[in-house]
Parts: sequence; C-alpha cells; structure tokens
Amino acid sequence: MTPLKTASAAMVVGRFWRKPPFIANPWVRYGLMAVTLIYLYWAFSTLPFNWERISEGLPRSARIFGGAFPPSFERGGLLWTGFKESFQIAFLSTLLGVVLSVPIAVMAAKNIAPKPVYLLGRTIIIVARSFHPVIVAILFVAAVGFGPLAGILTLTLYSIGFVAKLLAEEIEEIDWGQVEAMRSVGAGYLKTLIYGVFPQVMPRQIGLSMYQLDSNLRASAVVGIVGAGGIGGTLMNAFGRYDYDFAFAILLMIIGIILVSEGISGWVRKKIW
Amino acid sequence: MVDHAIKLTDQVWSRYDRKEQRIRYVTYLVMLIGLVWAVSDIDIFWPWVWDAPNQIQSLGARMWPPRFDTWDAIFNAMLETVHIATLSTFLTIFIALPVAYISAQNTTPNKATLWLGRVILVSSRSVNTIIWALLFVAIFGPGVLAGILAVMFRSIGFIGKLMGEAIEEIDRKPVEAMEATGASKMKIVLYAIVPQVMPAFFAIIILRWDINIRESTVLGLVGAGGIGVLLQGSIDLFAWQTVLTILLAIVMLVILGEAITSALRKKVI
Amino acid sequence: MLEITNLEKRYGKNEAVLKGLNLSVEGSSVVSIVGASGAGKSTMLRCINRLVEPTSGSIKLNGNELVNLKGSELRHSRRRIGMIFQGFNLIDRLTVMENVLSGRLGYVSFFQALTRRFPQADIDRAFHLMERVGIAHYVNKRADQLSGGERQRVAVVRALMQEPEILLADEPTASLDPKTSQQIMSLLQSLASEMSLPVLINIHNVTQARMYTDRIVGMRHGQMIFDGAPKDFNQDALDAVYGGIASPDEDGVDSSDATGESQEVNA
Repeated sequence: MTPLKTASAAMVVGRFWRKPPFIANPWVRYGLMAVTLIYLYWAFSTLPFNWERISEGLPRSARIFGGAFPPSFERGGLLWTGFKESFQIAFLSTLLGVVLSVPIAVMAAKNIAPKPVYLLGRTIIIVARSFHPVIVAILFVAAVGFGPLAGILTLTLYSIGFVAKLLAEEIEEIDWGQVEAMRSVGAGYLKTLIYGVFPQVMPRQIGLSMYQLDSNLRASAVVGIVGAGGIGGTLMNAFGRYDYDFAFAILLMIIGIILVSEGISGWVRKKIW
Repeated sequence: MVDHAIKLTDQVWSRYDRKEQRIRYVTYLVMLIGLVWAVSDIDIFWPWVWDAPNQIQSLGARMWPPRFDTWDAIFNAMLETVHIATLSTFLTIFIALPVAYISAQNTTPNKATLWLGRVILVSSRSVNTIIWALLFVAIFGPGVLAGILAVMFRSIGFIGKLMGEAIEEIDRKPVEAMEATGASKMKIVLYAIVPQVMPAFFAIIILRWDINIRESTVLGLVGAGGIGVLLQGSIDLFAWQTVLTILLAIVMLVILGEAITSALRKKVI
Repeated sequence: MLEITNLEKRYGKNEAVLKGLNLSVEGSSVVSIVGASGAGKSTMLRCINRLVEPTSGSIKLNGNELVNLKGSELRHSRRRIGMIFQGFNLIDRLTVMENVLSGRLGYVSFFQALTRRFPQADIDRAFHLMERVGIAHYVNKRADQLSGGERQRVAVVRALMQEPEILLADEPTASLDPKTSQQIMSLLQSLASEMSLPVLINIHNVTQARMYTDRIVGMRHGQMIFDGAPKDFNQDALDAVYGGIASPDEDGVDSSDATGESQEVNA
C-alpha cells in the first residue's frame, strides 16, 4: 500500500466535519420530527380498533382464501352479462364525456376564453373532480334509480373532470403563433379554433380519450358496487352470499381485462402519437 | 395552353390519402356500430333517461338547506378519514420502497424477484381501493383497520410503480463510479441511487396522500371507517340535508388537501 | 506494479475488442494510452478494475491476480484502484465533501456510510487533499454547482482518498477546455510523483501526452503497436496508431493529409 506522502505542508489533524442536515434550521428539524411522532401516537390511539373482531381475522381469512380457491367460473353467464354491461357503461360514458369535454375545455382555457366564461368552465371542472365517483354514483342512484343509467351519468362526470382539465391545460400551452396567423387571415373565432387550436391538441386528446376509456372500464367495475350497474354489482352479490370462489373468479377477470385494455390502449396511443 | 388547362383540372388535393381515409372510415364505422349496439343492448329504461334531469333537480331540492345538528359526529368522522389516509400512506412507504427496488430492472437481484415485484405492483394497481376494502371488511370486520389496509394495498402499486420507474431512469455514471471505489451493493444504492430519486420520492408521496384523502372518504360506504359510514347512514335514512352537509365537508377537506399538497410541493421540490 | 498478460476481450461472437495485450507498468511512472476511438483504450482500463469482464488473460496488481476475484475480494481489490472518468461521474446532489468521502466506501461500514460518520483520519485526509488540489472552500457545496475543471479535481481527490496502489484515468480531460485540461494533466503528473503512484491515462490529445507523461502506449484495433518514450513517438508512430487520419488536437501539424504521406513534424 502506498502511504500518502506529500511534499507540501504537514497534514492538520482533528478537523471537524458533519453532513449538513437536510433541514438547516434546527427548530424546524426537531419540531417536524416531534410533530410527526406526536401525530402518529395521537392518530393510532384515537382510532377505534375492535381488537376482538380483528383477532378473528386470521382464521377467517384462512377460511375465505380456502373457499376462494380454486376460482369458480360456473356462473359464466352472470360474468358475461356483468362485464358486458360494464363495458357498455364505460364506452358510452367515455364517448359522451369526451364530446362534452371539448367545449368545456375551451371554456376553461385561460388563453382563449373570456374571464367569466373561464371561471365558469373551471368551476364545472372542479365540481366534477371533487367527489369520488362512488359518491357521485350513490347520488345518481338515489336520483334516477339503480342500473346502468346512474353509472353512465357518474362516469360521464368523471370523464369530464379528467379529460376537460387536461385538455384545458393542453390548450393553454399551445403555440400562440398559429392562432395569430389564423386571426391575421381574418378567420372568426370558431374557424380559428378549428385550424389554429385543435390540430395542436388533437393527438393528445385522442391519447386522453383512450386513457379515459381504460380508466372508465376500471371505474365501472367499482360503481356497480353501489348499484350503478356492471360487474361491480355481481361482485357485491357474490361477497354478500359468501360465494368467495365466484368472487375470486370475478376479481381475476377484472385484473385480466384491465391488463388487456391497458395493453391495447397503450398500443393505440403509440400508433397515434 | 390547352394542355396546361387539362393539367390543372387533374390536380386534386385531399386532406388524407387513400389509406388514411380507409382507416378513418373503418374507425368511425366501428365506433358507430359500438355506439348503436351499446345503446340498444343496455339495460336502461329510456323514459327514465328523459326524466333524469327532473329527478336530479328534485333530489337537489330535497338536499337544501344543509343541516348541522350532527356536526360533531361529522367532524370526528372527517378526522378519522384524514387519519386513515395519512397513516396508510406513511406505512405504505416501508413496503412500497423495497417492492420498487426489486421491480426496477437495474436494481433487481434476479429475474424471479423482478417478476415477483411486477406481479405485486400489477395486482395492487388493478384492484380498486374499494374492492380491497370489501375484502378486508370480510376478513377483519367493519372498522378502520380494513380501511387502512385497503388504502395501503392500493397505494403500494401506485408508489411502487412510479418509484420503480424513477429508479430505472437514474444516471448510471455515479453508480459506475461507486462500483470503482469497491463499495458494496447497499452502499452503492445509498450514495448513487438514493440521492437521485429523492425529488421524485417526495413528489410521489405527496401526490398519493392527496389521492388517498379522496379514496378514504368513500371507504365507509362498505364499512371500512371514515366519513363514508356517516354518509351511507344518512342516505339510508333519506336524511338528504345531512347528506348535503357531509358532501360540503368532503369538498372542504379535498380543497384543504389540495392547498396543503401544493404548498408542500413548492417547499420540497 | 501492474502486469497485464495476454488480455483478450470479446463481446459475444464478434471480433475481439482487445487482442493479446501485454503491458507492464512499474513504480511511479505516468503512462499515457493513445489511440483512435474504438481502439480499446477504455475497455482495457475498465478490465483492470473489472467494470468490464475480461474474456481471457491475466492482470496482476502487485502480484495479486485480479481476473478471477469475486464478491468481497473483488471489492477489496477495487478499493486499491482509483479511477477518474471523462464525465466526472460525481454524485450531483451530494456535497463536495460527501463525494470525496465516498472514495472510502470500500473501507467503512454501512452504518458509517449511512450516517456520514467517517473516521477522523478520513476527514483529515479529505481536507488535506482538497487543499492540495485547491477546492477546500467548496466543502459543503453541491457538486453540480462546480465548473468542469473543479469537478474533475473533486473526482481526483475521491480517487486518492482510496489510498490506491494505481490510478486509472479514462480520458480525464476530454470534456474540459484546453486550459483546464492542461491544469488537470499537470496535477496528475505532480500527484504521481508526490505519492509515488503509477498512473495510466487514456488520452486523445497527443501533445498533452508528450508533455505530461513519461511513456506512451499506442493502441489500434485492440492491439498495442507502440510502447516507448514520448520523444520516440514520431510521425510514423502517429500514423500507425491513427491509421493516416489526423489525430485530433494535434497542434502544429497539418491535419488535412488524407493520403497517408508522412509529413515533417514541426517540433
């Protein structure tokens, strides 16, 4: 081993160095740690845990998993109608949602909408996004009854919340030069939209729509749990009747279909980009 | 001159060439067929569709004005919801990080662990939080434990996948340099990988916490704790005005969550 | 002392990138390795610390065979070999001090690495070396806030912190401007004699190779075709190594000669 020789001055020993802490201010640093610990303690202690019922959990889960395996596809007919309905809900709500998203996104884009219209558009989007689709589904079920109608209304709102928001952001980032060029040839508002704005956002819009179709397919499985139609209802019934092997079959199919649709939508988006 | 004129009339321009036109027509046709089939086959009682705006409006009328007499219970339930979201996000970190490590192609020890990591992430992501909640309520009974587990199991997939991608996108050069000093695998991870993925880590955790707040509000609808329990109760009793109060409380929580997350993001990133 | 015998590296069934290389480096000499891109300079250097796996052959460092080491033995051998890279390969988000201390990762425990509590001797050495190369005032600055030349100096200190038996430099100046690259080459030359360290430098710039190193090794297509003193590296040797195309950065030589006819080198 070559000892570290040096011709220059002798080495100073005993100098101090510590890694500079992530948060410089010690008050903030220790304060944050204290707050975190206090919060964790408080949260855990105030949460109601029914330990008796929980301790039944492990043997219970053994029974459930035992009953779930192997998955039963006997009631294939029910599976088929359930999925068919889910798919119909997803397809129709994506279509309706995407179509409605376009004018709403135009309203909600700061650069092409006048202020009051912009605020209205933004509000619509915020309202559409605030609630979990399950809550919206429950409300629609209460309003229009059980069945796929409630599901379609729910997912249309869900789609608008997502697609219109992203589309509006996309519109806000377009190259303004193209719009200026259209204005300079004397095109009116709509024509400027069609020639100057839409060509720029169309690829992204198609990508968003495919993504939303995929998303709605997943969500349609869930809104059925509260009665808005689709495979979710079938799943609820299976759980309710302790038909765990059927429930497992449904779950496997859901996972499988999600994977397939993810693959397809990814492929389509790549082709279009 | 005459030849020139003939040449002009032969010039045709169309926006799409033959092949593109065919693809477009086929796509439109398929979508039209899909639309017609879906509309005709779906199990909807069409008179109800036209009546829907009416029904929605009447429901809205029944909800107004909101009632605050059960506000205490509502506030506590909201607190419970926040606890569920925060605790599960916190606990998920400890599981999602190792899973992300083994599902990233550049850090996974071998093919089997890569496959295992990917399977865990895919199943976690494909099963919705509510469905996880159904499962855990069946196992552990109704209550917050089922809710926490449900949110955790769903978040593992989200955080694990995004962190895995962050790990795969790191610059390899610091890794090479650390290997050259003779450091062991763990130390290489510590010095070359962790510093590079820190910003992504914070962004992902903050985002997931925000999403989890939303998810936790509905867990109670299947019995897994939080404000959802009160919501379902009020709906069952047709106490629409209380329902409105709860909905307003949820909106406020969501807005508060968004404010906190954007403030955090500015600080940390 | 480094002894490479019959080193060969082949990727799959393709032609070998390194063919039957023999090289011997003694004591504290500074050896530069020149050659066109693709000649195998980088591959050979990386075979020494096994960042690239040799297909066959032997590499001995101070009598220890390196080629078949595995696991912790491999890591122990690597910590004896310091390496600096063309792209600096620093950890951008960490401070200069942490980057420098990371050279000791082969020596400290995981816990020490995690908490950054390195032994006092390492910290003293770090300060000492940083002052020697002139970056001590950057101790707690983030590495990505430094200029190119400063970053390479951090990398040099990191390598020296390993207390290496040999220093490998893979085109250390290719990403630096001419003045800074001279500073780095001069630094490597003085450090080599100060610390009695053998240094191997991959380099494009033949002028700098002549100026700062004691011995030039020329590679072409994976084989060594020149091995001698800089003063013997004449135009013929240059043509043999670079195959008639002008070597880049060759000052004072007309580089437009594509027919391969020799020209007088302007001394």
